[in-house]
Amino acid sequence: MKSNSTPPKYAQKLLQMLLKEELVEEILGDLEEKFQEMLEQQSPFRAKLNYWYQTTNYLRPFALKNILITEFNPFLMWRHNLLLSLRNFQKDSTTFLINLTGMTIALTCVLLIYLWVADELSVDKFHAKDTQLYQVMKHSTSPQGEIYSFPWTPPPLAKALREEMPEVEYSTSLRLRNDDQKGILKYEEKQLKFTEQYAESDFFQMFTYDILEGDRSRFLQQKDEVVISDQLAQKVFGKTTDLVGQTFEWEKEPFSGIYKVAGVYKMPPANASMQFDLVFHFDLVNDHFPDNNKWTYGGPDTYIALKAGTNPATFQEKISTYLQEKSNEDYQTLFIRPYSDKYLYNKYENGKIVGGRIDYVWLFSIIAIFVLAIACINFMNLATAKAAKRSKEVGVKKAIGASKGHLIQQYLSESVLLTFFSLFLALGIVFLFLPQFNFITDKTLTFSFSSKMFASILGIVFLTGLLSGSYPAFYLSRFEAVEVLKGKIRRSFGEIWLRKGLVVFQFTVSIILIISVLVVYHQIQFIQNKNLGFHKDQIIHFTKDGQLNENLNTFLTEVKNIPTVVNTAGMGSDLLENGSRTTGVRWEGYTEDNAIAFKYIRVGYDLLETIGVELAEGRNFQKAFGNEENKIIFNEAAIQAMGLEDPIGKTVRQWGADKQIVGVVKDFHFESLYEPIYPCFIFLEENPSEIMVKIEAGTEKTTLAQLDAVYKRFNDGLSLDYRFLDADYAQFYASEERIAKLSKHFASIAILISCLGLLGLVTFSAQRRKREIGIRKVLGASTFSIVQMLSADFTKMVVVAIIIALPISYYIASDWLKGFAFKIELQVWYFIIASLVALLLTWLTVSFQTLTTAKLNPIDTLKEE
Amino acid sequence: MIETKLGEFEEVLLLLVGILGENAYAFKIAEEFESQTGRAVSIGSVHSTLNRLSKKGFLTSEMGEPSARRGGRRKRIYEITAYGEKVLKASRDFKMSLWNQFPGFAFRIA
Repeated sequence: MKSNSTPPKYAQKLLQMLLKEELVEEILGDLEEKFQEMLEQQSPFRAKLNYWYQTTNYLRPFALKNILITEFNPFLMWRHNLLLSLRNFQKDSTTFLINLTGMTIALTCVLLIYLWVADELSVDKFHAKDTQLYQVMKHSTSPQGEIYSFPWTPPPLAKALREEMPEVEYSTSLRLRNDDQKGILKYEEKQLKFTEQYAESDFFQMFTYDILEGDRSRFLQQKDEVVISDQLAQKVFGKTTDLVGQTFEWEKEPFSGIYKVAGVYKMPPANASMQFDLVFHFDLVNDHFPDNNKWTYGGPDTYIALKAGTNPATFQEKISTYLQEKSNEDYQTLFIRPYSDKYLYNKYENGKIVGGRIDYVWLFSIIAIFVLAIACINFMNLATAKAAKRSKEVGVKKAIGASKGHLIQQYLSESVLLTFFSLFLALGIVFLFLPQFNFITDKTLTFSFSSKMFASILGIVFLTGLLSGSYPAFYLSRFEAVEVLKGKIRRSFGEIWLRKGLVVFQFTVSIILIISVLVVYHQIQFIQNKNLGFHKDQIIHFTKDGQLNENLNTFLTEVKNIPTVVNTAGMGSDLLENGSRTTGVRWEGYTEDNAIAFKYIRVGYDLLETIGVELAEGRNFQKAFGNEENKIIFNEAAIQAMGLEDPIGKTVRQWGADKQIVGVVKDFHFESLYEPIYPCFIFLEENPSEIMVKIEAGTEKTTLAQLDAVYKRFNDGLSLDYRFLDADYAQFYASEERIAKLSKHFASIAILISCLGLLGLVTFSAQRRKREIGIRKVLGASTFSIVQMLSADFTKMVVVAIIIALPISYYIASDWLKGFAFKIELQVWYFIIASLVALLLTWLTVSFQTLTTAKLNPIDTLKEE
Repeated sequence: MIETKLGEFEEVLLLLVGILGENAYAFKIAEEFESQTGRAVSIGSVHSTLNRLSKKGFLTSEMGEPSARRGGRRKRIYEITAYGEKVLKASRDFKMSLWNQFPGFAFRIA
């Protein structure tokens, strides 16, 4: 019998590692005794084997260390956590309310922004062939080397591509439209105005429209046939079916006539960028404007559907020089853009997409994240600051055996619960506020409870709850039971800096936002008040429709008879609505190298006088002279660009026709102040499509009523559909206005949340120093000096925030202003005001809390020893 | 009639503890069980049951003397409590009464 064998070491080590500490001794002892016993009767191998057998049999729940075995009953745990959380909310209701308010505000913002962003991203994406749909656009290279990008393509393009390119499955031209020019539909006694569109026969095959009646594949093949929307059908005919073959009269020059219904389609959803009620055959356009049906003309949009599987990049390569081949003009190249990108990505610079609406999507998403971050940071700050209060709780729990994991779970569930409460409140607020929000953003957002939205919202809430609770949870659970019960809490340096850093961050963001708001507002004011070189106030314009066409002169005479009408004029549609430029002008001294891209304005007689544009030289168009269609007027910028001296009387060739220069106008801003004043020519349109009327200031209401009466006499039953010119002008800045309004809201929200955060911290800080304050009071300090002392810390933090925020906001502001050709100077006072506001708010918040503490009777506070 | 709160294995172990007296520690109990029943049993399962019996209140335990054979480690000696005795008695009485009622082997207890 060998007695110098020992039990297997590994087994022993294993047991020591896994067994409860208090059992190790007796178990190992028993096992050793068994081993010795076995050695006496059997081989050492058997003894060792048996030892292993015994070892494995000790791997039972009762013997193993607690960490390895947890009695896992999630439901009990959750119920317990829920109870605890609710109790804690009750106990410390101030903190709870502060956190709740902050989180609710943040979630409201996030929800609203989420709805908006989701809607923006969904525009135009509902078409079935979405991945195959593209718009064909063109790059135009100016002689100076700059590339301009336009959607305006020649009318023959769509057809040619379809016929000559095998990759193109469908194509259509679509006429470029001005939405406020409607046509009149007459049926029986009804006269109603609608928006129309002109397309080719592939249109309904490419784009997804619900066809209620009619054969889609036969639409738009006859020039006298029209496809109408269900809304129009309902309004005019009172039904949406049984209408194929129905005729009606349509009045819109020059397409007026009798048309037949070929089919009825359902109006596309609100998030379709193209909205119209009738679709006519595109050839109507070509028939009436044969001059435009050329490869050198740029007019309609061209859309194509590529065959599935076609590589868009290769196709684009293929067609890039297509236009050059057809038109013999070599400065234009074609490119394609995915159709659904049109809405979000429409800003081009030098041939590349630099953004467009997508910038706003990014901007607001970032704002949402920021706001949420700030709320989470507040939560974290407050929770860790209040740690002292809860440290005893942690200590006791740990002493009776709670593990760190348990504690972390409990604190995390507290923060998630708070976030859920906030979510409910936020949902309520969003419901209430949604109509107003829709008004501001010009959308129709609804809470469609799709599973996607549900999941995303839940995801956001959970993430927020977990994130904001994570730091405090880990922080609190780290407390050592013994230390804490003794009353000691170690505050590491790092932790204090972190807390301060968080407050500084919030205030930095708030200050940046304040400055941005100030800058944006000021710039907008500047824009609206800048002298534009012409008068846009008290001027209305409206389409010359219906009977106005036939009896134009009578109409105008009657209008002029209204005493408060100052002047009338004919107006081409491109005043203030122009984006197109043309290089089709030739003058003395023109070479290909110095070709200029001109803007152009089509005017009727008296227009320039009505809007008060000043002449620098020469004269205006006047009927008395006759033959005015062969005359042309330039602005100063144009004359300068062409390098013409004594321009009056000289001849230029505009779009192939010789015209004599009769006048030069002083430069005026016919576009937004984003743009510099481009060279521009003005030519006469004998039969302009709109009429402009200038009204005496202060008489708008009565004059408009009188105008409406006159209009009604000519166009029976219809109301005068007019627009104010300054409203049109303001449209340039519609998005800026919107941004200004929204930034105002968001700045206030950010500030509110920052103050809430500060309030929480201050409350806590004041409470902690109650005794110190009591002692100071006893020693004779005044209330004011105590407040000062308490606020010193926070003042320092805000000052640091100011120092960081100022350069950042300067950079952002000047970057935004760079986009404007005419802009304000960044004034020092913006920055000063923002800083002062931040400081003032801080002092207010601090004093609000500290005053109460400072006023406390020292006897009460010191009694607690 | 009160039911027993004891499983069969538990009851046997409890009795063995009473039998072994001073030597009632896990290893010895396991050995005794094996020699009495002919069934091999691991010390761990015995220990687990003893633990359970302690929790139920039928046993108490105390650390005993160390010995060289155990590498200098002490042993845990178990002892039946009054409650344990009570429960054993109840179990025996119950079984006996059932056996008496059983028609085949009716016999009288001495």
